[in-house]
Amino acid sequence: MNAILEALDRYAHWAARWPVLAALAPFVPVVALWWGVAAAGVFPRAFFPAPPDVFQSFLTLTYKGILPAYLEDSIGRLAAGVSVGILLGIPLGILVGLSGVARKALWPVLLFFQAIGDIAWLPLLLIWFGFGLGTMTFVIVYTVIFPVVINTALGVRSIPPELVRAAQSLGAPRWRILTDVILPGALPNIMTGLRNGLGYGWRALIAAEIIVGTSGIGFLMFDARRAGSAVEIVLGMIVLGLLWYVVDAWILAPIERATGQRWGLVTRA
Amino acid sequence: MKSLTLRNLHKTYFDPAVGTRVTAIQDVSLEIGAGEFVAVVGPSGCGKSTILNMVAGFLPATRGDIIVGDRSVKGPGRDRGVVFQNFALLPWKTVIDNVGFGLKMRGIPKPERDRIAMEFLELAGLSQAAERYPNELSGGMQQRAGVVRALANEPDVLLMDEPFASVDAQTRMTLQEELMRIWGERRHTVLFITHDVGEAVFLADRVVVLSKGHVLREIPITIPRPRRWDALTEDGEFKRLSAEVLQMVRAA
Repeated sequence: MNAILEALDRYAHWAARWPVLAALAPFVPVVALWWGVAAAGVFPRAFFPAPPDVFQSFLTLTYKGILPAYLEDSIGRLAAGVSVGILLGIPLGILVGLSGVARKALWPVLLFFQAIGDIAWLPLLLIWFGFGLGTMTFVIVYTVIFPVVINTALGVRSIPPELVRAAQSLGAPRWRILTDVILPGALPNIMTGLRNGLGYGWRALIAAEIIVGTSGIGFLMFDARRAGSAVEIVLGMIVLGLLWYVVDAWILAPIERATGQRWGLVTRA
Repeated sequence: MKSLTLRNLHKTYFDPAVGTRVTAIQDVSLEIGAGEFVAVVGPSGCGKSTILNMVAGFLPATRGDIIVGDRSVKGPGRDRGVVFQNFALLPWKTVIDNVGFGLKMRGIPKPERDRIAMEFLELAGLSQAAERYPNELSGGMQQRAGVVRALANEPDVLLMDEPFASVDAQTRMTLQEELMRIWGERRHTVLFITHDVGEAVFLADRVVVLSKGHVLREIPITIPRPRRWDALTEDGEFKRLSAEVLQMVRAA
């Protein structure tokens, strides 16, 4: 028992010193299991590729330039859709959060449209916009905007009224209340909305690329299915997972550490 | 410093639980001279916080006037600095930026407002904490910052809403003495709300006892200044006045 505790203790020290390795370590058993099953030959290799096959495919597709180009397309679409979603969602969320009238009028509508999944819109969007960027952007904006609006509104409502009063009695005009009290106060919730929105948006993009696609990671995977290439599908899945990890670890988490956590508004994970 | 006058202040509101209009404040008139320290005491629900919220401009008065100096005021304004029970520091601003916030709103450039804020932080013994965030400070330190944030903005009157009610007893006594020291140097016009009779008698020039929304009595506090707890706890005059006020509050 003591030996186990000691080992865990040593692991914690080591993980604190090498955070990148610590993030990768949990995948070692996952990959080992995958490799083991593939090597056992239970399934035909063409249906169940082993890690080296996928790595080989990664090298080939990167060398040919297909993977980087598709990745760029997917990330570009996501970035465009998410930007529009944020630019529309945050102001709308603040309006809904601040105004009782807007909240009463919009809340049921928001919940109604949020419930209609993004994918459910695709048939109609294909009629409207055809197989193109318009459809994909719409789907991502649609998916991103609801979690952003709803969480922003909740964030605005969670700000203690005393903070607004304090700013007012220090002479802050309305727009200053917005920039110095409402926005930073709602920021932790806005980040939550963004995190959810990005996650949903990413999935929606892959779905849209599968149906609409002419390029992108989703298209890569669906196209591989047509060719019966399981190895490229698995590669696509891994790329999706890695990309999400990068977005979370390199963009979202640092922002959260520098804001809400620093200010004592949210507890550390 | 300016005087603060409340003239025939009324506050009624519709209470959906009762289904009728309820009177919270009934014809309260109060004259606080420039540089005078007035404490309002009363049992909870007597309307003392309602009065402060009206004076601060957070709640509209149903009837009556609030006059700072010779100017009738409505809505919040920087002429009335407020110190809140729960400090109300902006969590996303460092202590020095909180204290300099009012100056920033007046368009004073960063180096100048940092200099002024630093002066006030020194006054409160907080210069070491300037670059820290409020959540990294103890309750007592947060409220020191809350007090000097209001002072740094040079208000005409200072409104304090049970400012020391949410810190521990020892810290409270320290903060009360520090407030006395600062007030002794600068002589602000203060309206101080509290339910703590000892605190009111210790701090104020005059204690106003409020009951069910109207002024029950005003008692001048003649204890000489400077006042310190060590000396006052056994002081006969302090004991007599505290007992007198306490009796009224309990009967209120």
